[in-house]
Amino acid sequence: MRSLLNHLILIAGVLFLASPLYLVLVSSSHGSSTLQQLGLQWLPGDQLTNNYLAVFKLASGFSRQVTVVEMLRNSLIVALGSALLTTLFSLLAAYAFVFVRMHAVRTLFWVSLLTLLFPLEARFVNTFQITATLGLINTHTGIVLPTLALALGTLFFRQNFKGLPAEIQEAAQLDSAGPIKFLIDIVIPMYWRCITVVFVIAFILGWNQYLWPLMISTDDSLYTLVRGIRLMGQESGPGMALLVITLLPPLMLLIMCQRWFAKVLE
Amino acid sequence: MASLELKNVQKTYPNGAIAVRGVDMEIDHGEFIVFVGPSGCGKSTLLRMVAGLEKITEGEILIQDKVVNDVTPADRDVAMVFQNYALYPHMTVRGNMSYGLKNRGFAKDEINKKVEDAAAMLRIGDFLDRQPNQLSGGQRQRVAMGRAIVREPKVFLFDEPLSNLDAKLRVQMRIEIKRLQRRMDVTSIYVTHDQTEAMTLADRLAVINDGRVEQMGAPMELYSNPATLFVASFIGSPQINLLPVKLSGQSLVSGDLSIDGFQDLPADKELVLGLRPDHLSLSADQAGSSNSALKIRVDIVEQHGADNVIYGELIGAGSSMDGEPVEFCVKTGQANIPDIESILDLHFDVADAMVFLKETGSRLK
Ligand SMILES: Nc1ncnc2c1ncn2[C@@H]1O[C@H](COP(=O)(O)OP(=O)(O)O)[C@@H](O)[C@H]1O
Ligand SMILES: [Mg+2]
Repeated sequence: MRSLLNHLILIAGVLFLASPLYLVLVSSSHGSSTLQQLGLQWLPGDQLTNNYLAVFKLASGFSRQVTVVEMLRNSLIVALGSALLTTLFSLLAAYAFVFVRMHAVRTLFWVSLLTLLFPLEARFVNTFQITATLGLINTHTGIVLPTLALALGTLFFRQNFKGLPAEIQEAAQLDSAGPIKFLIDIVIPMYWRCITVVFVIAFILGWNQYLWPLMISTDDSLYTLVRGIRLMGQESGPGMALLVITLLPPLMLLIMCQRWFAKVLE
Repeated sequence: MASLELKNVQKTYPNGAIAVRGVDMEIDHGEFIVFVGPSGCGKSTLLRMVAGLEKITEGEILIQDKVVNDVTPADRDVAMVFQNYALYPHMTVRGNMSYGLKNRGFAKDEINKKVEDAAAMLRIGDFLDRQPNQLSGGQRQRVAMGRAIVREPKVFLFDEPLSNLDAKLRVQMRIEIKRLQRRMDVTSIYVTHDQTEAMTLADRLAVINDGRVEQMGAPMELYSNPATLFVASFIGSPQINLLPVKLSGQSLVSGDLSIDGFQDLPADKELVLGLRPDHLSLSADQAGSSNSALKIRVDIVEQHGADNVIYGELIGAGSSMDGEPVEFCVKTGQANIPDIESILDLHFDVADAMVFLKETGSRLK
């Protein structure tokens, strides 16, 4: 009885969380007029192929026409770049915090945690100035760089690395493995699941960025999918189709790595 | 030429804990040395200083006459076997054993040959392609030893390598380690808190207490001729029988007991009489010049097969070192199975009796 009730509660939760996804998916099969007059739709319509074809034909932008394929490319560059570099830097930082046994390094860990108190949104103005000074406005690099320091990733790696028995590090020392060999031969292969998890999270965060790319890029050619949604119009069929397309890559990545998430976070 | 030399080695941890208080020793090539002592006495710290895993606060460590204080663990050419095996979990047995050789730049063929030779010697040849989590505890320990062996180091270091194994396997592996060490002829230091392991493995053993070497010597020398009360009670199983006494004339007195035949001892000091369980016997003719002042009331008889160990309260004695009734223990042949509560006369040769100064623990006789 109890477990039935538990299941019902869980199923209700899943339905509640999944319903927006469903709404968007189903609505993307309706024409723009239906959406404008009647709002989001619960039942499938007949404009599915038309909408998706329209997305790829459509081009938008203020001064220049930017295609969906270009936006997809931009999103991928930004998300992949951000995820790769974020993972690399938080991995290296955590490695130093755990395996370099010096007091100064310990102190730096707490300093790095402090950055949690200053999210990008809270330091937009300064970050913008720095980025401008570096001449990175309207570049992919400018979009990616300020997102790199992910203190949570560092924290996550650190907590995991701390579980590595000290003897393994010592055995590696006796086996003539210096710090770089130890990182590459021992730590990375032992923790590749954690690395994947941080990578996926950073990818999704990078993919979903909206405000910062909006500030730092004025050139249409740098539009990401997330920004494109606004340009296509929320109450249009192709807009809904674009929304679905935008959701797909992070969703697929998440599904692919789901097993490791479960393993690492358990 | 000493293979390994410690000169006034000391260790104070950054938090102020003093773990090693000045250790001197010389170890010859091929010797099997065991550090034995209670937990927390500083054995591991000392071993880890030899390995280079712990900085040396004071003093010098020399390997083949070269001071190695500032040499990295890798360059000291020592190999270590850890209690928890410390195998690389993501590598196969072969990977674990070859990693150190690979890092030292050996050729692939040579590595394979060394690994396969060592694996055959340790009888883990069939597991070379397995991962550590597919092996039993004993097999993992063999792999850990294999990883040490293939390197052919100048010194082997073992830190309680058998503590995680069950009793039977422990005995088996103990014999194997001894055999292996003989065959390889590599200077070895082995740390354990288990005196049986220490006695059976060591060419020489160092009994360590509170960061100092209490005594160092061959196992039987330490057993028959301990320098201190600590060594006497740490070495030997069952433990030595101890009785706090005072000298009165030529007798040692405890409670109503008076034991004759002792000379040249300080009269005004508290003393401790020590008698090994195998120096006591139940009949007079087995001991030389027999003293039979002691009687016990039998409490427990342990039958070990070939021999029996009888425990009982010493009748008429004062209190023990911890203020309790004095328990004595006798080792006898398998035929002796006395009734519980029966009273037995104990005989011993005064020449076998040891006397310690209670205050300092130093041996007087
Ligand atoms: N890393 C450390 N920091 C501070 N104190 C330590 C450290 N390692 C060991 N000690 C202390 O040093 C003493 C000796 O420890 P250890 O050498 O591990 O003893 P053993 O191996 O004989 O059990 C103990 O009192 C222990 O608490
Ligand atoms: Mg220890």
